[in-house]
Amino acid sequence: MKSAPTLSSAFLKPAGESLPQPLLALRKERGKALVDMPLPTRKTENWKYSSRHLKLSDELANSLPAGGATTDAAAGGYRIVIRNGVVDASTSVLPQVEGLSVQRFADLTDEDAAELARSLDSTLDTRATQMARLNSARFEDGLLIRLKPDTVVDQPLFVIHEVTATAAGSAFPRIYVDAGRHSGMTLVEEFLSSGDESAMVDAVTEFTLADGARITGVRLVAEGQNIQHIGATGVRQLRSSRFESHCVGFGGPLRRHDLRVRLEGEGAECKLNGVVVTQDKQHYDNHTCIDHMVPNCNSEETYRNIAADESHAVFNGRIHIHKDAQKSNANMNNKNLLLSTGAEIDTKPELEIYADDVKCAHGATIGQLDDTSLFYLVSRGIARREASVLLTMAFINELVAQIPVEQVRNSANERLNQFFDDAFREA
Amino acid sequence: MATTDKEVKELIKREYEHGFVTEIEADTFEPGLNEDVIRRLSAIKQEPEFMLEWRLKAYRRWLEMEEPDWAHVGYPKIDYNSISYYSAPKRKEDMPQSLDEVDPELLKTYEKLGIPLHEREKLAGVAVDAVFDSVSVATTFKEPLAKAGVIFCSISEAVRDYPELVQKYLGSVVPAGDNFFAGLNAAAFSDGTFVYVPKGVRCPMELSTYFRINAANTGQFERTLIIADEGSYVSYLEGCTAPMRDENQLHAAVVELVAMDDAQIKYSTVQNWYPGDEEGKGGIFNFVTKRGTCLGRNSKISWTQVETGSAVTWKYPSCILRGDNSVGEFYSVALTNNYQQADTGTKMIHLGKNTSSTIISKGISAGRSSNAYRGLVKFQPGAEGARNFTQCDSLLIGDQCGAHTFPYIESRNKSAIVEHEATTSKVSDEQMFLCRQRGIDPEQAVSMIVNGFCKEVFKELPMEFAVEAGKLLEVSLEGSVG
Amino acid sequence: MLSIKNLHASVEGKEILKGINLEIKAGEVHAIMGPNGSGKSTLSQVLAGNEAFEVTEGEVTLNGQNLLELETEDRALEGIFLAFQYPVEIPGVSNLQFLRTAVNAARQHQGQAEMNAAEFMKLAKEVSKQVDLDPAFLKRGVNEGFSGGEKKRNEIMQALLLQPKLAILDETDSGLDIDALKVVSDGVNALRAEDRAILMVTHYQRLLDYIVPDYVHVLAGGRIIKSGGRELALELEERGYGWLGIKDEEAAAN
Repeated sequence: MKSAPTLSSAFLKPAGESLPQPLLALRKERGKALVDMPLPTRKTENWKYSSRHLKLSDELANSLPAGGATTDAAAGGYRIVIRNGVVDASTSVLPQVEGLSVQRFADLTDEDAAELARSLDSTLDTRATQMARLNSARFEDGLLIRLKPDTVVDQPLFVIHEVTATAAGSAFPRIYVDAGRHSGMTLVEEFLSSGDESAMVDAVTEFTLADGARITGVRLVAEGQNIQHIGATGVRQLRSSRFESHCVGFGGPLRRHDLRVRLEGEGAECKLNGVVVTQDKQHYDNHTCIDHMVPNCNSEETYRNIAADESHAVFNGRIHIHKDAQKSNANMNNKNLLLSTGAEIDTKPELEIYADDVKCAHGATIGQLDDTSLFYLVSRGIARREASVLLTMAFINELVAQIPVEQVRNSANERLNQFFDDAFREA
Repeated sequence: MATTDKEVKELIKREYEHGFVTEIEADTFEPGLNEDVIRRLSAIKQEPEFMLEWRLKAYRRWLEMEEPDWAHVGYPKIDYNSISYYSAPKRKEDMPQSLDEVDPELLKTYEKLGIPLHEREKLAGVAVDAVFDSVSVATTFKEPLAKAGVIFCSISEAVRDYPELVQKYLGSVVPAGDNFFAGLNAAAFSDGTFVYVPKGVRCPMELSTYFRINAANTGQFERTLIIADEGSYVSYLEGCTAPMRDENQLHAAVVELVAMDDAQIKYSTVQNWYPGDEEGKGGIFNFVTKRGTCLGRNSKISWTQVETGSAVTWKYPSCILRGDNSVGEFYSVALTNNYQQADTGTKMIHLGKNTSSTIISKGISAGRSSNAYRGLVKFQPGAEGARNFTQCDSLLIGDQCGAHTFPYIESRNKSAIVEHEATTSKVSDEQMFLCRQRGIDPEQAVSMIVNGFCKEVFKELPMEFAVEAGKLLEVSLEGSVG
Repeated sequence: MLSIKNLHASVEGKEILKGINLEIKAGEVHAIMGPNGSGKSTLSQVLAGNEAFEVTEGEVTLNGQNLLELETEDRALEGIFLAFQYPVEIPGVSNLQFLRTAVNAARQHQGQAEMNAAEFMKLAKEVSKQVDLDPAFLKRGVNEGFSGGEKKRNEIMQALLLQPKLAILDETDSGLDIDALKVVSDGVNALRAEDRAILMVTHYQRLLDYIVPDYVHVLAGGRIIKSGGRELALELEERGYGWLGIKDEEAAAN
């Protein structure tokens, strides 16, 4: 048998030596484990549909330099810019909220850094998210966000992940959120880029929610068409905590997001929403995994994909009910619209169940716009193109409307309108 | 339900009822597979040269192949050289010319299994081909079938008597290099059934093959090929059993179906291979490749399976919907108990315009078993107006088992529509209370509720099999209530 | 026929029945009334043998036989029938199949020959007419997609088929319009017989206009606090539960 291609050793040379010692040590250790890591191929189950889009040329092994132009990201409230994986304090507005601490990894004491080093990666399924492991070997900075018990942050915290692709290379942004008992906040992550050289973002965000914590994560992925994006989000939830996730993604040469939620305390619940649109030859792949590890947890998941032109959208949702996780409720729904015969949609809603007293269901559909509805609108004098746009928007509106941050809703809608204009330009 | 523990323990001790061994003189090859063995096998069967060449080519290719490991099952590594690839009841003459010449012990075996081979028996109206270990021992109703122009014989006979049909279609649906087990089968298949229904003929009776593994340390590698020519119709059913043995035995069959324009093939299986004992010891490894091509316009292939046996099942009866307007169907009940493992489902590959497919899968897990549905629905760019509907339901009985659903859905045509639904449930306490309050005992209540769960599939089976399937389910479930 | 002495029962550790005493003789019709949460439904579930409830004290005998040591299905075979307040659905199992299994279990228990499908079909059709159910319902799944009223009529049809010694009707009138109530009541009245007792559990006295009870008991806080004849129900309707010194939670909520 031919041996599978492995990760070029060029990728295992991290930059940014200013991190505290425990984090440098962690990086080194993670890097060692990646020597000769096989790259995903069509036979790698969780990259089955996407490995063909992944192009790891050696020049991407370079670290993108910190600094450079700032994109115009409209964001009010608390705002932190992570440029090419490094926090830019000068353009950030750090929140001054009692009980909330936001620190750069570089600024951590050795003691705090040692504790962080023990926690990093703990929420991820390293087997499933192999590309996220590269982040742990390469991050140059990061944000540690800690919420003291009962701290509820009044406004969303925006993190702008910006890539300035003036040269080829990669960025490895990293965030760790430690939410204390009954704390609450909304974290918005926007992924944007400038510059035309080919670049890669390999971003990892982790959340741990103590008892009763309520955290919302909003993620907008909208980098340029020269950027490959590999993201992983890991969540661990203790008793009666609630995690909400709202992802809006726009296609690119490679777009991948792995979202894994572990419900570890009874009464924990999560709600995961996702919207993806792709056009031209773009790609987007969402992989989610919800682990019900203890009894009496709820999960609700709704993802919608729209693929136009020759683009390719993938959804793989997995619900895993562990042994003894009785009285679990899990619902997963994935609907897809294929706007063109050149496009491709692949979906795989999986259930893996080891407890009998559970309510689990999933539904998936792939189709085109409903003829009857279209005819109804057209018969009322609405132009066919407009009618198509209206119906397509209706397909995802419900999810966009649920995003709890107005600025993100607006910016998502603006981009979606642009998408619809393009997608239906000839209709 | 704890009160039923006592009955449960009694019932668990009940034995697999087809577990007897027939004492019969047999010619059995020494274990192992190599080119020599294949040559001997081919020689015994007096095969034409093309067949031997085909087998050898398949064998050489198989040596390069790897055993698949993606299914949600686990079993000890199989030593393919410890298996005997041929075992046949010894016969006085070459071939039995009529049932009267078949060894009476063998006839008794089939009587015990409830498959009377004598044509006058109660199964009148169903023609049977009986495959015992590596050979077909009897085919009934050949005469009336021949009158209708239907060829129904063992594949060994077909290779000799209808070489042009065999050469044209064998491997046309499942090529020798398709997968590891299909490759092994192509190299070593010993017997199986061949059916050809000519143009415009509606096969006058149900056709059926009954498979029986008897000898120890042998594998069964049967191969079935059914061709339904333009405008024809055939309904075919197969049943399987094996003795209880402590060692695992391998069954690696291949089934190929070809449906021409306007032809219909209905293929039903009631699989009851020995599942192993309650400790998970012994049982059949059932690694089977079944696939049909709807080659012609308006053709239809329908798979119905009731899977209750085998220690490990790896099986995905599939349809390639090539002809425009062709239809594929898959109705399945898979029940696992004790330590059984099943990874089964289907593939519906839509190539032609307005092709449609339906998948109804009912998985029932009990004991410490694992039951997975794995399916692929694929619309290629040419599948204009294609449709699929999939319903996958799992029922869990007890908290030590697993039920899994792995559906792959791929679409590359904008006008194609797929709808997929899956649910998981248990037999609820409320349902049990209602039944028991009406005086129905718990075992019967569970069996009734499970049968109700499977109803959509059972109604697709030919009548005489539907009854058998219901009973089989009941027997297989015994001891699972506790 | 039925004798309940000092019956205590709890669910998930919470005591619901706190010492019920009740004697019912063959041929009698008893009504148990009471505010929500008084334990009415619990009593019927406990008598039928629902294992979700734990009997902690007391005894229940049916014609001298200790009921509490019998399994649910054995109680049914001894003649206990419960018409459920919320009958559960059993998808795929036809009503006909379900009923024949139940009737044959009873016949077998009584040493009678089982009924074959044709015989049973004939009987079932007759009985379904008695409760004004289209015989087509027999072929549908048990309670599958039935309306509330159809479910209740289906319950009474089962009682007519199984001919129990003691029929317990749990809120059989709830969710019925006046026409359906009449049909159901006719069915119940057809059940009245010298060798049979009926125990009706109801919140409202409306049902008692159609099925006239011999005795009425008021259940509150897990105990029977007052017993009387038909007139007690009328008094309750007029004056509510308040005059008995108990609070009707539902009335209070309104």
